[in-house]
Amino acid sequence: MSLTFSLAHLMGGIILLCGFLQLSQRRLAAMITLYQSEALVLSAAALWQGFAQHELALYLTGLITFALKGLLLPWGLREIVQRFGMIRAVETALPMAVSMIFGLALIGIAVLVVLPSTEASLSLTREDLAIALSVVLLGLLLMIVRRNALAQIIGFLSMENGLVLAAIGMPGMPFVAEFSVALLVLLAFLVVGVFLLRIREHFDTLDLSGIEQIERRGR
Amino acid sequence: MSFAWIVIAWPFLAALVLGLAGGPRAGAIGNAVACAVSFALSLALFAYGGDGLVATDALARLFGTVSGFVGLTASLVNISYVMGDAARMPVRRWRLYHALFQIVLGASLLGLYADNIGLLWAAMEGGTIAMTLGVSLYRSPTGLEAAWKYFILGGVGIGLALFGTMLVYLAAQPALGPGLRAMSFAALAGQAAHMDGALLTLAFLFILFGYGTKAALVPLHGWLPDAYAEGPAPLTTALSGLLINVALLAILRFRHLMQANAAAGGSAMHPGPFLLTLGVASLFLAAFSFSRRRDARRFFGFSSIEQSGLVAFAFGIGGPVALFGGLLHMLLHSLLKPGLFLALIRAAQLRGAAAPGFYAFSHLRGLPHVNKYAGWLLALCIFALAGLPPSGLFASEFIIVSQTIQINPWMSLPLGLGMLLCAVAILRQIGPLLFAPAPRETYRKAGWEAHLVTLHLLLVFALAFLTPPALVRLLGQAAGALQ
Repeated sequence: MSLTFSLAHLMGGIILLCGFLQLSQRRLAAMITLYQSEALVLSAAALWQGFAQHELALYLTGLITFALKGLLLPWGLREIVQRFGMIRAVETALPMAVSMIFGLALIGIAVLVVLPSTEASLSLTREDLAIALSVVLLGLLLMIVRRNALAQIIGFLSMENGLVLAAIGMPGMPFVAEFSVALLVLLAFLVVGVFLLRIREHFDTLDLSGIEQIERRGR
Repeated sequence: MSFAWIVIAWPFLAALVLGLAGGPRAGAIGNAVACAVSFALSLALFAYGGDGLVATDALARLFGTVSGFVGLTASLVNISYVMGDAARMPVRRWRLYHALFQIVLGASLLGLYADNIGLLWAAMEGGTIAMTLGVSLYRSPTGLEAAWKYFILGGVGIGLALFGTMLVYLAAQPALGPGLRAMSFAALAGQAAHMDGALLTLAFLFILFGYGTKAALVPLHGWLPDAYAEGPAPLTTALSGLLINVALLAILRFRHLMQANAAAGGSAMHPGPFLLTLGVASLFLAAFSFSRRRDARRFFGFSSIEQSGLVAFAFGIGGPVALFGGLLHMLLHSLLKPGLFLALIRAAQLRGAAAPGFYAFSHLRGLPHVNKYAGWLLALCIFALAGLPPSGLFASEFIIVSQTIQINPWMSLPLGLGMLLCAVAILRQIGPLLFAPAPRETYRKAGWEAHLVTLHLLLVFALAFLTPPALVRLLGQAAGALQ
C-alpha cells in the first residue's frame, strides 16, 4: 500500500512540475517537450493505478495516453512548429516571473481548497486531487499568459492532463477510459484545426492578438 | 434496450447518412425528414420512456419534445436557406453542415435524456465540437475567429465541468459507494443528504462555471454573440439555443443536489447566491451591450445571454414557484427565440441574402415595404422578446419577479432594473424596422416558412396564457422535485 502511495505521489509531483515549468519556457519546442514528458508520466501513472486498483479501464487509459498523447500529439505539434517556422520565442502577455508567481499562488489555492473539503476521502485521492487541480489551474494560466495559438493549445492540453490525472485517482470511477477518449477527440480537433487554419493562411501568424477583426470592425 | 436510446441514436444515424451522400438540396430535404422523425420519436417517448443510463424524467421528455419541434421548424426553414445559399459552399461542406445539424440535435437530446452525469458531460462535449465546426463552416476570417473563441471558451468550460463531475462522484462516495449508481441523477438526488457537503459545494462551483460557459452566463458569455453572428444561420442561431437549455437544466439538477444537502443539515453551502450573482451580472451585461449593435444576430445573441441570466436568477431564488417560473421561462424562450431567428432569416432573404453579414439592422429597415406579413411578424417576435403582454414571456417573468419580491425583496431591485433596461433596448429596434422609409424595392412574397414563425408565436402565447393543465402539472411536479 505504501508503495502505491509514494509512487502515485511521485508521478503526480512530476506532472505538476512539468505543468509549472511550462510557464517558464519561452520556446515552443521546449514547451512541447515538457508536455510530452507530462503525458508520458501520466500514462505511467494511469498504468500504475490500474495495477493498484485492478481496473482494466485504467490500463486502457494508460495505453491510449501513451500512444496518442505521449507520442502522436507531440509529433503533430512539432510538425506544426517545423512546417511553419515558429522556432522563435513566443510572445507572452505577462513577464515570466509574474506568471510563475501567479502559478505558485494557484497551486497554493488548489491545495487550500481541496484538502479541507475532502477530509472524508482516502488520503491518496485527496492529495492526487489537489495535484490534479493545480495542473488544471496552471494549464488555464498558461492559456491566459500566452498570445500564441499553439502555446494556448499546449496550455489546454496540459489542463486536460490534469483532468485525466484526477479521473484515474477516483476510486472505481466508471467511464474513465471513455472520458479520456472524449477529451482526446476534443484535443485532436484543436490541433488539426490549427493545422488547417494555418494551411489556409487566414492567420498570417499564430499570434492571436492580431486576429481580433470583429473587435476592430465594430460589432 | 430502452426506447430512449432509439430517440437519441436516430439523429446520429441520420447524420451519418447526410454526411456521406446527397447534394445541398437533397441534404436539406433529408435533414427535414430526419428532424420530423426525431420530433415524432420525442413525442412517442412520453408513452414509452427510458431506463438505465437514459431514464428520462418528465422534464427531460418535455424539453426533448421542444428540441424536436425546434429542430423540425429550423430544418424546414433551412430548405429555402440552402436553396438560396447553395453556391457559397462546396457540396461536401453542405453535407458536413447537415450532419452537424443532426449531431447538435442528437447531442442536445442525449444531454436532456441522460440520467448519468458522465453521459451528460459527453453530450455537451459532442455538442461543443459540432457547433465549433458549424460556426467555422464558411471559413471567413471572422467565422474562424468566432469558432476559435467558441472552442477555447467551450473547451475550458467542458474541462471544468468534467472536473466538477468527478468531484460530484467523489462527494457521493460516502452515500453510494463506487460504481455507476454514484453518477445517476436519480440516485444522487435520493441520497443528497448523505453526500459530502463541502466537496459538493466545490463540485457545484466547477459545474456552474463549466456548464455556465455553455449556458453563456456572464463572465463566460464571450463566445455566444460571435458564434451567433457567424456560420449558417439555421444551425448557429435557431438550433444552438437547444444546447443552452441542456446546460441550464444540468445546472438546475446539480443545484438541487446542493440545496437538498444543505436543507438536510449537510455541510453544503446554499447555491442561491452564486446563481443570483451570475444571473444579475448576465442581465446587466446584456442590458448595456444592446446599444450600438449593428448586427441583428449578434444583438439577439446578447438577448440569449439576458434570458439565460434570468433563468439562472430564478433558479437562484429557489422555491417551487420560482423554479416553475424559471422552467416556464426556459420553455417559452426556447420556442420564441428560434421563431425570431427563423423570421430574421426569412427577412434577410427578402432583402437579398441570408449569409452572415446580411443581418445588419440597417439592412432590415422598412421591412414591411418588401413584405407586410414578414415585417410585422419579425416586429411581433421582437416585441414578444421584450416580455410585455400579451407575450408569453410576460407570464413567466411575472412569476419570477413576484417570487423575488416575496422571497428576496432586495434582489428585485437589480432584477427589475436589468429587465427594464433590456426591454427598452429591445423595443427600440422595432421602430426603424417597421416605420423607416422604404428603400426602392419591389414587393416580394413572404413564403410558407413565415407561417412556421406564426406557429412559434402562437405556441408561446398559448402555452403561457391558455396553459394546458397537464403542462402545469408536469412543470409543477418537476419544480417541486428539484426545489
